Order: sequence, then C-alpha cells, then structure tokens
Amino acid sequence: MKRLALLMLLAATPAFAHAKLTASDPAANAKVKTPKMIRLTFSEKLEPAFSGASLIDAAGKTVPLASSVAGSGITLLPLALKPGRYKVAWHSVGQDTHPMKGMFSFEIVP
Amino acid sequence: MLVLARGLYFVASLLLFGLCAFTWLLRARLPMILPLRDQSLRWALLLLALAAGCAWLGLAAADMADAMDRQIVVSAARDTRFGQFFLGRMAALASLGLLLALRRGRAAVVLLAALALVLPAATSHAAAASPAGFAAVGAITDGVHLLTAGFWIGGLVVLLLLWRRREPNMALALSLFSDWAVVAVLLLVMTGLINAASILLGQDGHMSALYLSVLGAKLALVAGMTGLALINRFKLMPKGRDAQIARNAAIELSLGLIAVLLAGLLGQLQPIS
Repeated sequence: MKRLALLMLLAATPAFAHAKLTASDPAANAKVKTPKMIRLTFSEKLEPAFSGASLIDAAGKTVPLASSVAGSGITLLPLALKPGRYKVAWHSVGQDTHPMKGMFSFEIVP
Repeated sequence: MLVLARGLYFVASLLLFGLCAFTWLLRARLPMILPLRDQSLRWALLLLALAAGCAWLGLAAADMADAMDRQIVVSAARDTRFGQFFLGRMAALASLGLLLALRRGRAAVVLLAALALVLPAATSHAAAASPAGFAAVGAITDGVHLLTAGFWIGGLVVLLLLWRRREPNMALALSLFSDWAVVAVLLLVMTGLINAASILLGQDGHMSALYLSVLGAKLALVAGMTGLALINRFKLMPKGRDAQIARNAAIELSLGLIAVLLAGLLGQLQPIS
C-alpha cells in the first residue's frame, strides 16, 4: 500500500536522479598495487563533452594521464604511478543535463 | 533561471499543442463552429517557446560546464543528446512559424507542435531510468504524458475563447472536449504511474524534504484541477450552466499553469538526499 501511495505521489514528475558514481576500480579507500587503469562507473549514460576525471597525487599535483568517456563509464590511463595516496576528482553530466561531481581516494602500496 | 526557462518552455509548448490540436478537432468534428481568431495567441506562444527554449539551452550549458561562453553553448548544442534534440525542437517550431505565416497545413501545425512538445522526453529521466534497451519505452510514455497534459490545458484555453465570444454551439464544444479530456486525463495518470515505476526501480536513499514539498504542492494543484473538471462534467454540464463552467475552466487553467511551472522546478531538483 505504501509503495502504491509512493507511486501515486511520484506520478507525472519529470527528470529524476542524476548520473551518480556507482562503482570504481580501484574502489574508494582501497589499498592496491599499481593499477593499469582506473575505471569509474556511473548510474546513467554520460555526455562525453561535459564529463571527465582527474587524478591528484599526495602533493596535490594533477597526474598526467589519458582519459576516455564512453557509455556510463570513465577510464583513466595514468603513466606509472608511485606508491602513495591519490585522489580521483570526477564530474559527470547525464543525458538529462544534470551535473554531478565528487572525489574519492585510494592508496597504492609497494 | 534554468527552472524558469524550462517551465516557460513547457507552458508555451503545452498550450501551443493543446490549442492547435483542439481547434483542429473542432473543425473536423463540429464544422458549424466558426474558426477562432487565435493567430496572435499562437504567435505569442510560438515566440515564447523559441525564446524559452534558447534560454534553456544556454542555461543548461552553463550548468553542465560550470562556466559560460559561446563555445560551451555550441558544444552543448552539437555534442550532447539534449542539444541535438534542442535543434530538432527549434526546427519544428520554425517550420510551425512558417505554416502559421502562410496560414496553411492545420494538421501539419498540430504535428509540429506535438514534436516540439515531446522531443524533451527523449532526454528525460523516464527515458534514462528505463532498463537497458528500453529507453524508447520511457521516452514514449513521457511523450504521451506531455501530449495529454497539453491537450488538457490547451483545450481549456480554446473553451475559454469560445465562451468569451459567446459561441452559440458552446454545449457541443464542451461535450466534445469532455469526451476527449476523459481519455487524456486517464492516459496522463497511467503514463505518470509507469514513469514513476521505472524511475523508482533501482533508486536508493531518502527523498529530500524540498522535493517532497514541491511535489505535494503540484499534486494538490492537479487534484484541484481534476475536482473542477469532475464538477464541470458531471454537475454543471447536465444543467447547462456555461458561465459557471467557464469560471471553473479559468481557475482550472490557472492551476494547470502553476503545476507546469512546478514540474519545471521538480525536473531540476535532486530528489534523493
């Protein structure tokens, strides 16, 4: 009954959620050996022209890398990474044009 | 501003479609009713849709890029799905303007107004939230939802214009609108439920208080509109109280326009906190 009431409440509402980060490899706060690539997966198909991500090292510097946006994912291909803590800063726009952004960290261990 | 541009685009395109569709239906079914002199209203709605549509693109581009310049707007129009459908909507509206200027193609005018109204459904969340491979289903249900809403509020404008000129066949026009509006409102509710079901699947988290407040206000307005429509259909129409019906229709239309603006706001809010 509650579900039906909720459905009734939501009837006729346009654009709902946004392209949210649903998974990443490496995962947030994970400790991993040097990854070959960093993969971010989102809840919706992305607009490549307005979506992307960058990698920031422990010193706060942006790491040079190649990146691609396809479907609902962003792939980062960094050059050799040294052990240490890294942050991934991402921004996404779904096909409904709503922007989202966020950040997560992971650590590379020797 | 983005909310306002989006809301005004839907107000203009819903009214334009409903106005064109119901006047076309009137001419086809009730030829004894002389055509309305509604050209200036059609032009006003068309220009509002064009202006609000362009503002929607510019503001959405600024929102997506968190910056604003000419290149960003061009990229939003050329490189995004929303932008490509924006160009389609503008082409439909420009063609509609041409037909209005030439005073030709009444059926084509209805089709072009419908196109300008339903194309945003392709980038709605109902489409995006559909299971993989079924995005077209979400877009179609959302499109039907927009068309039925447009027929309802645009048809009310036609009725008010007929009442204002003291149309002698008002009862026939009311009866025709009533028959079609019942179907439109049923489809409106059904497609709303289907969209909601597809959107709800896979959504986690709690709904935000702001979103719920706006949604509650919109639903109260729609409930009020439905109540007035039922009073008109089952209480006042059998008694032939045209003046009261027209007064209720004017209130119904006002509530509908506010509801559309609120829907524009809901489309920009993040519902899951």
